[in-house]
Amino acid sequence: MQLKRSKLITLVACTTLLASLLSACGGGNSSNAGSTSGNAAKNSEVSSSVDSDNPYKEPMEISIAFWDIDSEISKIDQDPIAQEILNKFNIKIKPVNTTWDDYAQKIQMWASSGQLPDIFAIDAIGTQYQKKWVEQGVVKAIPDLTNYPNLAKFFETPDIAGLSVDGKQYTVPRRMFPSVDWSALDRMVLYRWDLAQKAGITKEPETWDEFKAMLDAIVKQDAEGKKITGLTAGQVKMLGGFFWLYGNPLATSDGSGNDFKWVKEDGKLIPAVFSKNALPALQNMRDMYDNNLIDPDIALTKPDVAYDKFASGKAAALLAGGGYINYDQQIYVKRWKEAYPDAEITDSVKVLKPLIGPDGERNHAIFKTFWSESYFSGQISDAKMERIMALYDYILSPEGKELLTYGKKDVDYKVEGDKKVMIGTTSLTEKYPTRMFFKNLVSYETSDSYDMNNPTISNEKIRKDAVEYIDWILENTKVPDYDIRLTYMSTATKDKFTILDHDDLLKVMLSKEPVDQAWEKIMKDYKAKGLDKMIDEVNAKAAEEGMN
Amino acid sequence: MAQMTNHVHKKSLWKTILQYKYFYIMVLPILIWYAIFSYAPMYGVTLAFKTFNYREGIFGSPWIGLEHFQTILTDMELRRAFFNTILISIVKLVTHFPTPIILAIVLYEFSRTVARRVFQTILTFPHFISWVVLSGIIVNIMSREGIFNQLIVMFGGEASALLVDENAFRPILYITHIWREIGWDSIIYLAALSGINPELYEAAEMDGANRFKRLLHISWPGLKSTVAILLILNVGQLMSQGASFDQIFNLYSSPVYSVADTIDTYIYRTSFTTGGDFGYTTAVGILKSIISVVLLVTANKIVKKLGEEGLY
Repeated sequence: MQLKRSKLITLVACTTLLASLLSACGGGNSSNAGSTSGNAAKNSEVSSSVDSDNPYKEPMEISIAFWDIDSEISKIDQDPIAQEILNKFNIKIKPVNTTWDDYAQKIQMWASSGQLPDIFAIDAIGTQYQKKWVEQGVVKAIPDLTNYPNLAKFFETPDIAGLSVDGKQYTVPRRMFPSVDWSALDRMVLYRWDLAQKAGITKEPETWDEFKAMLDAIVKQDAEGKKITGLTAGQVKMLGGFFWLYGNPLATSDGSGNDFKWVKEDGKLIPAVFSKNALPALQNMRDMYDNNLIDPDIALTKPDVAYDKFASGKAAALLAGGGYINYDQQIYVKRWKEAYPDAEITDSVKVLKPLIGPDGERNHAIFKTFWSESYFSGQISDAKMERIMALYDYILSPEGKELLTYGKKDVDYKVEGDKKVMIGTTSLTEKYPTRMFFKNLVSYETSDSYDMNNPTISNEKIRKDAVEYIDWILENTKVPDYDIRLTYMSTATKDKFTILDHDDLLKVMLSKEPVDQAWEKIMKDYKAKGLDKMIDEVNAKAAEEGMN
Repeated sequence: MAQMTNHVHKKSLWKTILQYKYFYIMVLPILIWYAIFSYAPMYGVTLAFKTFNYREGIFGSPWIGLEHFQTILTDMELRRAFFNTILISIVKLVTHFPTPIILAIVLYEFSRTVARRVFQTILTFPHFISWVVLSGIIVNIMSREGIFNQLIVMFGGEASALLVDENAFRPILYITHIWREIGWDSIIYLAALSGINPELYEAAEMDGANRFKRLLHISWPGLKSTVAILLILNVGQLMSQGASFDQIFNLYSSPVYSVADTIDTYIYRTSFTTGGDFGYTTAVGILKSIISVVLLVTANKIVKKLGEEGLY
């Protein structure tokens, strides 16, 4: 009897174990929210006292996948601005966390298992999977924007307008700049002017030869005895944004492999990377590397390592993204202030103006006016889509923008003439911890920071340089002609074709073969992947559509 | 007659199950777990013969026959990745597999218990550091300013960027792999050695056997079967563990893709950088599994032919 009872207990224990195991492992979401956190509960309770003609009287929960949204939303209860926005649109946010390491994988997984959140952020323009999302209804088309004038304006910039598929838009790009001229900021070269002067350089470089001579002088002089190297880079993805500027600027790419631009050579449209202007640019880069003007460890560099090297005097120049905002935050605030407390950074560090290339032009990098996009799950209702559009439109409106940038009028800032003057010294980030999340959810609008009124760039001298720099760029450089529709064109081979030019540049830079031979090998690899076929397809389609 | 034997066998099996029913019930949750989480998802392999449609899912996606496998044959980069995977795995096996055995023997034979523990701890430690962290350290050591190049320069050599050098990359993989795993992998051999009856050594010593003879006639026979089993397991994992994704992914860069890109790194890059078809990457995965099974079966047969016990 005793034995039977113990067997029975064993049986019950096993069954319980199995049940708990299954429930633990299989406790998936029945909703479309992917892996959500408990933070949703922390959202403020939606106001129940909404008047009857309020278009948002129906409360709504919107799931959003965004980078590190868990930590952003955890502070939403302490943010009066966020509460104001949530109440205005009668919404509650259900966060679906992604990180910078896993977002692409997670979103592809959710897309393939029908578990996409209502809104999700990713940089997928031009990829095969993004094209399939559109074709197969995974993402919802943006409705008529008549009622959303601020959002409608968004789609007027040529490179954003060109994203439409059969006349419909499927994504709201996270805009950074009003025009491609501003791309100059996204591949900026900082250099140590103090060390250059110590090495006998008296004139800021304007041509490639002057720039190379300056680097050479700094490296040879090694004024601080730190075995200084030449140019380093935040990421290898950025290399093309600088080295192609030697006479082949349309080859500059954001590193995604899908944004390559086309030029017409010998009567045929070809990707600009394969232009005959490529070889001189590659040779120039190789000469720089062979003459110790480029960091020998550039192939394995990482942003923090590169910033450290530059700010600590171990690299003469730094190729970095993020414009003056990054310069201010990563170099000045985090590093320079400590490393050189007595030296004024704007006297010691200069930003390289686009150099005059062999074609006599001052070329700068040319990318898109946006980075990353919002997509909307194909499964959401029209009503939810309308509510999301209203939210996006508000954030882009002058009212929304001012609220999210400067805080509340007469509480956080006051207007004096044409200037906004901040009231008090409390940081807006402490007071409104989720305000930047709302802003960045829709658009970065990095260009807004290039304004003496805007406190984003903390060091006022750097801010002044930033404003002057972009004014100078807008006045003194011109963007070469290209047709963005060719970049977005879809053909069978092109849809699967990527050009990771930074990988190719690295191969040429580090190759022991002559440049032309190394480049020929790379071209051969691209041809094996269908380069010629893609060129033929694009030329045929361009002729058909009258783009030739 | 045969049918009858079969019947009797079946009956006796059923009887055995009934007799030990509670043990079988205890195993049941594990079996169910495997069925649900390991075998049921295998329906996903059908994707290798389909083109993935997000709306229709794996079941509803249209069949395309062997198209993905045909593409595999013409994909030059994948061919290169296959070659690299096999080469890196085999060289890693050949260079790494004997080292923990040698280390275990050396530690067991030539050191006292305390010293053995100290050495073992020191050598095991790197195993617990992830490749992400280790790669950062290796990059620093191997950089132009790193300690390795400083030593080279000190002895009159010329500094070079080793991790972007096609000739140096694979040897670095092999060496760093040994460095990370030698201590950890030696544990099981040390355990096997510790299981040998010490009286055998004492008797051999009395009979005048020197260290080498004792090693050859006592230690090695005691280790042989463990070595055989681990060899089979290692061969079975050649295609995945051998060409470790973490190690290569964190150390490589485009100048060394030609010698470093393996199937796993290639699949990762095509899936998440350029957005390849899931069907295609599934087909590549299947091919990899088939090769692994063939290697495993072959290794098992060879080991059995050598007179050792195999895995099955």
